[in-house]
Amino acid sequence: MAFLEINNVNKQFGKSAAVKDFNLQVEKGEFVSFLGPSGCGKTTTLRMVAGFETPTSGNIVIEGKDVTNKPPNQRDVGMVFQAYALFPNMTVAGNIGFGLKIAKKPADEIKKRVAEMLELIHMPAFGERYPYQLSGGQQQRVALARALALSPAILLLDEPLSALDAKIRVALRAEIRSIQRKLGITTIYVTHDQEEALSLSDRVVVMHDGKIEQVGTPFEIYNFPQNDFVANFVGTLNAVSAEIVDPASNTLRMDGIQLQTAGGMDGRHSGDQVMIAIRPERLSFAAEQKKANVVACTIENITFLGSIVRIQVRIGNTNFFMDTFNNPFLELPKIGDQSEVTCSREAVLILSH
Amino acid sequence: MSDSSKRAGRRFPFWSWFWFILGVLYFVMPLYATLDFSLRMQRGVLSFRAYEKAFSDPQFLRTFGFSVLLALITIIVSILITVPTAYWIRLRLPEARRIVEFITLLPFVIPAIILVFGMIYVYSSPIKIPFTEVTLFPALTTFRFGTDIMIVGGYMVLGLPYMYRSVDTGMRTVDVRTLTEAAQSLGANWPTIIGRVILPNLRTALLSGALLTFAIVVGEVILASFLGVPTFGPYLFLLGQHRAYEPAALTFTTFLLTWAAMGIIQLVSGGQGQVAGAH
Repeated sequence: MAFLEINNVNKQFGKSAAVKDFNLQVEKGEFVSFLGPSGCGKTTTLRMVAGFETPTSGNIVIEGKDVTNKPPNQRDVGMVFQAYALFPNMTVAGNIGFGLKIAKKPADEIKKRVAEMLELIHMPAFGERYPYQLSGGQQQRVALARALALSPAILLLDEPLSALDAKIRVALRAEIRSIQRKLGITTIYVTHDQEEALSLSDRVVVMHDGKIEQVGTPFEIYNFPQNDFVANFVGTLNAVSAEIVDPASNTLRMDGIQLQTAGGMDGRHSGDQVMIAIRPERLSFAAEQKKANVVACTIENITFLGSIVRIQVRIGNTNFFMDTFNNPFLELPKIGDQSEVTCSREAVLILSH
Repeated sequence: MSDSSKRAGRRFPFWSWFWFILGVLYFVMPLYATLDFSLRMQRGVLSFRAYEKAFSDPQFLRTFGFSVLLALITIIVSILITVPTAYWIRLRLPEARRIVEFITLLPFVIPAIILVFGMIYVYSSPIKIPFTEVTLFPALTTFRFGTDIMIVGGYMVLGLPYMYRSVDTGMRTVDVRTLTEAAQSLGANWPTIIGRVILPNLRTALLSGALLTFAIVVGEVILASFLGVPTFGPYLFLLGQHRAYEPAALTFTTFLLTWAAMGIIQLVSGGQGQVAGAH
């Protein structure tokens, strides 16, 4: 039995379905992210786990106990909110110790635990400050410490880094992961930022329109998207329609150009139309090294994106993005040049739907 | 930025100051006149004689004390009604906010005289259980405690726009919904959430609403006159018909009290403004 089970959960708000037939098992100590665009139902699902929303149908089980109808204060979950939600009338120590006071822990124990938590978030000298005296990043660390102080069974984080600037976000997400690993706490993390989800999680749940589109490790989600939505939402993608020429030899045709793929032809026949996807970083210039697929192209545009250079090439009638690492000795073609690009069979993915 | 545009930026804002000073004079001149008049009871000298006479009148102490008591009761009952209402609307019934806001605006469009006649019309008959002949209360207008209850109810209506809006704004500033959920996830039950999280963070809002209600109740004349309740407002009105200097002294004192109340709001909100700013 999994540590957290979300079984056949549906949530209706009036006539609109926010979450549809959601099923997920999370193991103890696992870090799972819910990733998806706004309105996909990820926060609603998290709020149902927290107890702030009640499922219309289905059940939620934590450590073998059905908590579906339990109020939030009896669920043993800690929650971190996007807006920090620190109590403005309490000091940092007061905020962190709030849950322990509610649980009627002895004063000595509260003091010790608060000190431990302040050490954990690297803010031992901030106990007597008020929330308004802290930066956004510091406030969110305090919110994390407050949620962890009671040693909850599950930690829930609802877009905790969205309100912070880019540099602090990167630093704090590393800190969150490090603390989670140190404590071994089961964690659910809601985000619409694919980079965050991929860099933090043991598993990612990609959601769209209230449904789970794919569950997998960040490696699986990125490299083997199961459908068009996941492929497009996670990372940049070249997705085009193609026709199957010969399933036995894994041959496809796109704009009259033949391509080889590594598989995914099961149950398909010659003439079938499929969506194929190629990640920009899987394409390279054929002049460097030729792979299974080599096609002629025209350079349409070149964009510098810091560490990578994104080159837009036209293959047949279709535009593709190609990414290459930036370096000072990089020799780039000019816009309008004719060239050849190449990719392996494995780089050409056939999307299921 | 060029030197000329810097100079233009520093140009003396004549019209801003003109309108500001005009506004100040408009408000301060009548006050100054009242103060000056109240100090001239003794011919040829400035003295506090009018204040001494006004404060030594037992009627003043009785009516003022009673008004303060009614104000305190009104504030407590208003808080008990508006805080849970505003809290529940923010938390669970946001769609009801427009209706409630409309209701809270009614005292601005319905004059106090209409309110008091409506109250007298309704409560001058015994209160019965609908569709039965069972009497719950005798007519409130027929006994003193009844009119006291009526006037507190009337004051609550008059103070509703100020109290409700103060509380609602306070709740918006501290984002009570998220704070409530944070407290719930930490194991707090409803009484703890309201007592230790919500109310302390509404301190300024409650104080604003309470002091505005206090100012309204202490100066109110129409409800008290028509309900025959001996409060400070009608006393001041009657005094003005027979005496010259004492009403001026009491009016100025009432202004001072109101200013002191405003000062307290500023003092308290100055501290919490920063807290709210954290959000």
